[in-house]
Amino acid sequence: MARSRQLKIETMSLIAPSDQEKLREAFAEMTSNVRLLFFTQTLGCETCPETRQILDELPPLSDKITIEEVNFVLDKDKATQYGIDRVPAIAVVAANGQGTGASDGIKDSRIRFLGTPAGYEFMSLVHAVLLAGGRPLSLTEKNRERVMAVATPLTVQVFTTPT
Amino acid sequence: MAFVSPNITAFAVEATEYPDLARKYQVSGVPKTVVNDTVEILGALPQDAFVEQVLSAAAPREVG
Repeated sequence: MARSRQLKIETMSLIAPSDQEKLREAFAEMTSNVRLLFFTQTLGCETCPETRQILDELPPLSDKITIEEVNFVLDKDKATQYGIDRVPAIAVVAANGQGTGASDGIKDSRIRFLGTPAGYEFMSLVHAVLLAGGRPLSLTEKNRERVMAVATPLTVQVFTTPT
Repeated sequence: MAFVSPNITAFAVEATEYPDLARKYQVSGVPKTVVNDTVEILGALPQDAFVEQVLSAAAPREVG
């Protein structure tokens, strides 16, 4: 006997239906699974719930995108590993295994987001997901070679505002 | 660039949410890019120029 399943009705999405469709199409091209490591804490983080809400918009649009919540207070090791010193923060990693180690197919994109990815930042996040998901680079061949030749650690911080 | 080089890590920082960082790096307009606390790039640049600027933080002394 088949039991009818109650479908969750999407009533409170932050993304307009037409944009959801565009994102769904873009994500459909992904060849790698992408995991968003969401560093958060329960207390003293005003914008963490909003960030979680935004992130939660993505997995329904692609079965290749998952969110892993990391407790910033309890899981300091992971925060250190990903160079995260404040929350909310997001690390974008390609994840083709089940586990969380390098041997499980985790490839860190080394792209991080500090603060709520709203407005333009949301599009940046989408681009980072697509990149980690296997989309061809926008770098020209010449620039790619130059970047690959970098031998010293570089930390690039790009400051933006939501609007 | 971060995706290509294991030596590059990129942070997109929401400036209004982290005023301490915005102050530290004197962010008065966006986008503003800071590389290793030494190179500052204001505004958006064409790709070649942007790559050039970012990499200049890695090579303070050009050889050849």
